[in-house]
This record gives sequence, C-alpha cells and structure tokens, in this order.
Amino acid sequence: MVKVYLKYLKLHLKSVMQYKLSFILGFISQFFVFFASYFVIISLFEKFGSIKGFTVYEILFTFAVVNIGFSLNEVFARGVDNFDHFIKAGKYDQLLLKPVNIFLQVLGSDINFLKLSKLLQSIVILIIALVNLDIDWSVFKVLIILNMIAGAFCVFLGVFILNAAYCFYTVEGLEVRNVLSYGGREMAQYPVSVFKKEFATFFTYVIPFAFINYYPLLYFTGRESNILLVFSPLIIILFVIPCYYIFNISSRKYLSTGS
Amino acid sequence: MSFIEVSSMSKTFKVTKRSSGVRSSVKSFFKRDYVYIDALKSISFEVARGEIVGYIGPNGAGKSTTIKILSGILRPDSGVCKINGMIPYEDRERYVSNIGVVFGQRSQLWWDIPAEDTFDLLKDIYKIPKDDFISRKNELVSLLNIEEIIKIPVRQLSLGQRMRCEIAASLLHNPSILFLDEPTIGLDAVSKKIVRDFIKKINKERDVTVILTTHDMSDIEALAKRIIMIGKGEVLYDGTLQKLKNKYDNIKHIKVITNTKVGSIRKKGIIDKRKIDGGYEFDVDSKIIDVSLFLNYLSNKVEVKDIDIENENIDEIIIKLYQEYEI
Repeated sequence: MVKVYLKYLKLHLKSVMQYKLSFILGFISQFFVFFASYFVIISLFEKFGSIKGFTVYEILFTFAVVNIGFSLNEVFARGVDNFDHFIKAGKYDQLLLKPVNIFLQVLGSDINFLKLSKLLQSIVILIIALVNLDIDWSVFKVLIILNMIAGAFCVFLGVFILNAAYCFYTVEGLEVRNVLSYGGREMAQYPVSVFKKEFATFFTYVIPFAFINYYPLLYFTGRESNILLVFSPLIIILFVIPCYYIFNISSRKYLSTGS
Repeated sequence: MSFIEVSSMSKTFKVTKRSSGVRSSVKSFFKRDYVYIDALKSISFEVARGEIVGYIGPNGAGKSTTIKILSGILRPDSGVCKINGMIPYEDRERYVSNIGVVFGQRSQLWWDIPAEDTFDLLKDIYKIPKDDFISRKNELVSLLNIEEIIKIPVRQLSLGQRMRCEIAASLLHNPSILFLDEPTIGLDAVSKKIVRDFIKKINKERDVTVILTTHDMSDIEALAKRIIMIGKGEVLYDGTLQKLKNKYDNIKHIKVITNTKVGSIRKKGIIDKRKIDGGYEFDVDSKIIDVSLFLNYLSNKVEVKDIDIENENIDEIIIKLYQEYEI
C-alpha cells in the first residue's frame, strides 16, 4: 500500500516537472493570495487590539495550525476534493479495475504540489506566532501542536470525504461542501468563542472544529490546565472514521457513466 | 462449469428526465421525473477458456454495460455472473488482478509522462515480481514494436501508438481474460493490423480469453469466430460468424461491363439494377435465381465484356440484421 502510494507521488512529481516554469509561477502566485488573509488579521488587530481576550499572536497561532491542516488536504487529498469531476469524467471506472483499495487510489489520483506553497507559508506564520507568544514550554505543548495539526487535517479530510460520498448519489458535487470546508476553514482560523453561540455550537458538535483550535488553545496559552485538552484534537478520529465508512457504503451505489 | 457464465443478468438504470426550456429545468430542480431504462434484460451466455468472442450491437444496446459488469465495475440488479469461479463485483480486488481491460475511448496511461512510468506504477499495483515484470514488459514491448514509443510522454503520441501502449499496459500482469471495448476505434489501417495480429497472437500463445466489443466488422472478421449480438438489452444472436454470413450473404452484387444498353429487366430474383461506369450493377438474390442462371440469362440479352461478382459485405449483413430485429 505504502509502496503504491509512494509511486503515485513519484509520478505526480514527474508530471509536474514537465511544466517547470508554470509550476514556479504558480508557486509564487500562491504566496500573494495567502498573505493577503494574513494581513487582514494583522490590520484587524491593529484597530481592536484583541478579540474576546485573544491576542493577535494567539489568533495567528490557530490560524496557522488550521491552515497547515487544510493545505495538507489541498496537497494530498485533492483527489477527494475533486471527486465529482473525477466521477463525471468516468475515471472512477479505471480505479475499480485495479486490485488496490479504492480510497488509496482516489488519494493517489491527484496530488497538488503547488499548494505546498501554502503549507510553507502557514509554517512561517506558525513560527512567527510561536516566537511572539510567551509560552511556558513542555512536552505536552509540543504534542498539542502536533495533535492540533493532525486534528485539523482529519476534520477537513472528513468533510471532503462526505462530499465525495455524496457524488455517488448525484454525480454532481454539492455546493454545501464549500460551506463546510472552505467556510469551515474561515471559522476554524479563529477560536470558537469569538462567534455567536449558535455558530459555536454547530462547529463544536456537528463539525467538530472547536476541538482542534479552541480547547487546545486554552491549554496552550495557559488559560486551562486540564491535561485532557492536549488530546482533544484526537476526538476528530471519531468523526473521520465514520466518514470513511460512509464513503465505502456509498460507493456501492456507483452507476458509472455512459460510452 | 464454463469459464465465463452469465445467466439471466439484468440491469436497469434510473435516469433523470430532462426537458429543454428554462421553465421546465427550473421545475425539474424541485421535482424530478425519472425514467427507467432497461440496459440489460435477462442476458445469458457462456464463454469457454481461450475463446475470442466478438460482442456486437448498435449504440446503446447494452454492450458497455455488459463489459462493465463482467469487469466488476457495475453490479447487476439480478442474475448470475460468474467468471473463473469468482463473482466480479463481490470479489473485486481478487478478481481484477486476473483481468486486463482496454477502453478504446479512455486511457489508463498518465498523460504527461512516458508510458514506461505508468508500467512502473502497474508493477506495484499488481504486485508483479521484478523478474516477471521485466521479462513480460520486454516481450510485450517488442511484440507491439513500442521500444522507443514508451519513452515519449503520452500526450505526444499518436492514437495508434497510444493504443499499443494501452494494450501492453493491460497485459503486464499476465491476465487470463482480456476485455477490449472498441480497441480499434479511430486507428489507421496499419495500427489496426498491428493490434489485431497481436490480439490473435496472445490468444493463441497464452490462451487468453478475449471479449471484444466493436463497431468495426473487419475486427470481428479478423479475430472472432464467435459473435454475440445484443440489441435493446437482449441477446439476439449467439453463434459463429460463418453461420450468420451463410444466412445473409445470398445477395450478390454483380458488375457487368457492357456496351449494350440494358432496358428494364423483369425477372424474379433480380432485386436492383444500377447504371455504373461502363456497364451495370445488379443485386441478385442467389436463393431465388442461381448466379450461373442469371449470367446465362443476361448474356443472351447483352454482350458481356467483363463481370465481377461480390458477396454482401459484413457491414451490410449487420445492418440487415439490425433491421430485422428492429434495433
């Protein structure tokens, strides 16, 4: 399995290298797009100082972590995100003809190295935030960052998988996914407590974003000392595993396209 | 038990009814009408190991649906489909490691990189041992004459070159069944011949069972002794190509070169008469009037310089058959 995936990576890299100049230009242009939202946050705080008690670097910290998780999806789970196009083009048939797990093949079908640019920028912002935050470092504090990144990756992956599963029923992608994924990302960049209660509830219990930013942030910044909060991002696993099974069950509904 | 066993297999598709016009498409957004299309209505056939079967029928007859079920992509609504002791859509991963599939209209090769790299990926996907992979690849590559071609990015290949690479890709894992869905579509005469000769060869030497769909009857003539014809989701004919020909090739096209003007001929068995360059062409039903009798009759009337007798070509036979079954 791992061997097959690595081979996919290798071939995608080779494909990208066929168009080096376009890759480099794309990589650079991604920089400008992303830093725009970074400056929005900066200028927002210059006006308000803090939002509901969170400082600019605390916000930047969750912003960076969530974007690391999201851009990891954009790089490695693009096949899941673009699954509707994949089905429409009839490419799904080809996957069924190969003796390898379908989901692995969907992941391998598209890897977008261009978005490594965003990943890189998010890491830069994370470092800026960490340098400026006054953190009482411990093993748990390091662990919590890793957990948050893993949780952020999984929560978006889950949303993408759900939307992909829906394609088996309609062939067409659902616009709702953008509310949950891209909209969700916008929400998740900030701690839930800055939003109205209804939003906060939805993004805690339905799509569990709060567990990857808000609760860990409370521990990370020393507002709470309950050690359980370190592991709160791992709750996401309870969300992503059912998503995977829903995808598998839905795939039995597949009807293929003509020709 | 046969190698491939299909019995009373059915498949119905639920299709959204779409009508034109803005108003009705807005309406369909809220309430959708569905139509049910019976793609396959209780299809049955058997295929023995090592056979080449031509699977033919007009567009929309259910050919692709059958191939998709046989190759494990779709599941039938009812009926049995058992191949090599396995049920394709239940046992997918185990089953597909033993089949090769080529869709003429779809590529499994990676577009931007040489075919060789796709082969390399397939080696890992099918878990082919390294030594087997190298020897098989070399064999296929030299048989299909693509040594140089597999080093060029696929997007730069011609259709014929690409198709040869596709076929090589589908056989790297040494499957015992090969499904070919319109493998010669859009190919030139030379590429067609290479592909056909190759299919014949692997069938003979490796005992690969081949199921082939095509609209090109010369494919069938070159490859398949047996054809299964399907129309409107039902099997209409299952037997040898020769038998079908015998049944329908009673129509002879006879070209007669003559200077004499031929008036209207009223004789039973002469279906049509056309003026051609330097003479006439007659369509004669040899069941009603013997060719020799016809020629006798004609030479009494006109001075015959040269004659040319042609059998009905296979495309026309198929058209007739389709007409007969109203498909």
